[in-house]
Amino acid sequence: MLLALAVLVVLLLAWAAFTLTRLRRLAGRVDRAWVTLEGTLARRAELADAVAREHADELGPLRADALRSAAAAARRPSGGDREVAENALGRLVRELPEPLRAPELDDAGWRVGLARRFYNDAVRDTRALRRRPGPRTLRLHARRPMPRFFDIDDGLDAVVGTGPAGRG
Amino acid sequence: MRVGLVCPYNWDVPGGVQYHVRDLAETLRGMGHEVDVLTPAEQEESLPPGATWAGRAIPIPYNGSMASWQFGVLSAARTRRWLREGHFDVVHVHEPAPPSVALLVCMIADGPIVATFHAASVRSKVLAAWGPVVRPWLERIAGRIAVSDFARRLQVEHVGGDAVVIPNGVQVAAFAEGPRLPAAEHDGPTVGFLGRYDEPRKGLPVLLEAMRSVVRELPGARLLVAGRGDPDELRALVGPDLEPAVVLLGELDEADKAAFLRTVDVYCAPNLMGESFGVVLVEAMAAGAPVVAADLDAFARVLADGDAGVLVRRGDATALARVLVDLLGDPDRRAQLTAAGHDRAQDFDWGTLAARIVDVYETVAPPGGGEVTAHGADEDPLPAEPTAPTRMDGFLPRWLRRS
Repeated sequence: MLLALAVLVVLLLAWAAFTLTRLRRLAGRVDRAWVTLEGTLARRAELADAVAREHADELGPLRADALRSAAAAARRPSGGDREVAENALGRLVRELPEPLRAPELDDAGWRVGLARRFYNDAVRDTRALRRRPGPRTLRLHARRPMPRFFDIDDGLDAVVGTGPAGRG
Repeated sequence: MRVGLVCPYNWDVPGGVQYHVRDLAETLRGMGHEVDVLTPAEQEESLPPGATWAGRAIPIPYNGSMASWQFGVLSAARTRRWLREGHFDVVHVHEPAPPSVALLVCMIADGPIVATFHAASVRSKVLAAWGPVVRPWLERIAGRIAVSDFARRLQVEHVGGDAVVIPNGVQVAAFAEGPRLPAAEHDGPTVGFLGRYDEPRKGLPVLLEAMRSVVRELPGARLLVAGRGDPDELRALVGPDLEPAVVLLGELDEADKAAFLRTVDVYCAPNLMGESFGVVLVEAMAAGAPVVAADLDAFARVLADGDAGVLVRRGDATALARVLVDLLGDPDRRAQLTAAGHDRAQDFDWGTLAARIVDVYETVAPPGGGEVTAHGADEDPLPAEPTAPTRMDGFLPRWLRRS
């Protein structure tokens, strides 16, 4: 009886250690993916801002202003609704007339899409594991905030099959 | 970048995943990256330079096709050594869910892992049951790629996780230019079929049924069958009435396959199910063959919903026969399909797609992120052929550790 109990405890501990390792790895994956995503978003904002400044005449004052302020809003650190700001910027960038939409800007958009998908993937895996009965009962990582999805429209879903438009 | 590619299937057995890995490796090297491939093979000597032997994978029939099994202590040791000696910036595994060297890499590697999912089978019960078992290790993959929407959906449903779709590539130039295949030359109109003809899901019986009608209308027409299989079985399937109209070419090597596709008047893919992507359709378009294909989702997508080839309801021999008769008798329509197919094939050229895959590498492995290492790196370097069981992950169930 005692032996059975001891075996049970050992198994439980081994399982908890294994799950903690998984959670730790997932947390690392989420962090790295977020850093990458922020990097790609910053690059896109930077490029958009450059377009707004260098091609102000072609764009007209209204559009140039909108683009510049959208880029600024997207670059503002965390305060406000980041997703809304990025969405606004992404929409303006996609609506840019063809000659002004430099290949780098398309490339930056595609990389935002990749980074976002990989980040959300990491978040999904983390949430799935933390919501399972085992980790919840043992309160593994329970005090950490649950990672949030980053939901923006990056236009990546619309062009599955042959990759993003405007590349290749 | 230094890239480690992992192929789970025996290198010296022809197959889509093997070709995918080979072409990706070649294209990446052409772009200036350093690539090493880890793969099982029946014969170690068959591996080209730049590839590392991972032992032999045992083929197991699954869903009318072949999967493979490789999960031993020895394979784990080879995998660990390859990871340790490779100093890769990123490791790119293919088809990591089944118990194979690709899954071993997911278990052992520590660092940025990218995975490509090729699988597509309608009956995915096995995957549904197996997915949760391997989840702890698939969780380590930082970037997932699916070769088709279908593969992506399968991934979302059973393995839990999203993937970015980057389709299979084709070396378009290698298919577009070159000689024709003398064995496939024929005075009358020809229809080509390519693939393992003893696999029912490839749909050869449907095409044979259609050919009976085609030959009635166009007595000179020939069906050219290239691929692996049992010739006697095929002859029994063909029957004496159709035998003069069917030419069996046997298995073709890559060069002959391209020549074959350049020679036939129409290429037909009558598959019934379970086609992940349909590389061969892109190859046929690159080689200039007008394509007639079953209306599987993947095929419809490759053929741009029928703009770049003709789609026929799957399993419908009557409709297939009608399409083939029309097309074989209409050179203008064939020329038009050839032109449309050639344009479409460019979208799948390896040069285009490998650049996208490199974007994925750069996303998961930013500069200065450190190289991929192997767990248990403090252990003694392994002997060439270790016999004692090595600690794999500490948590790997015992029954899994046995080969």
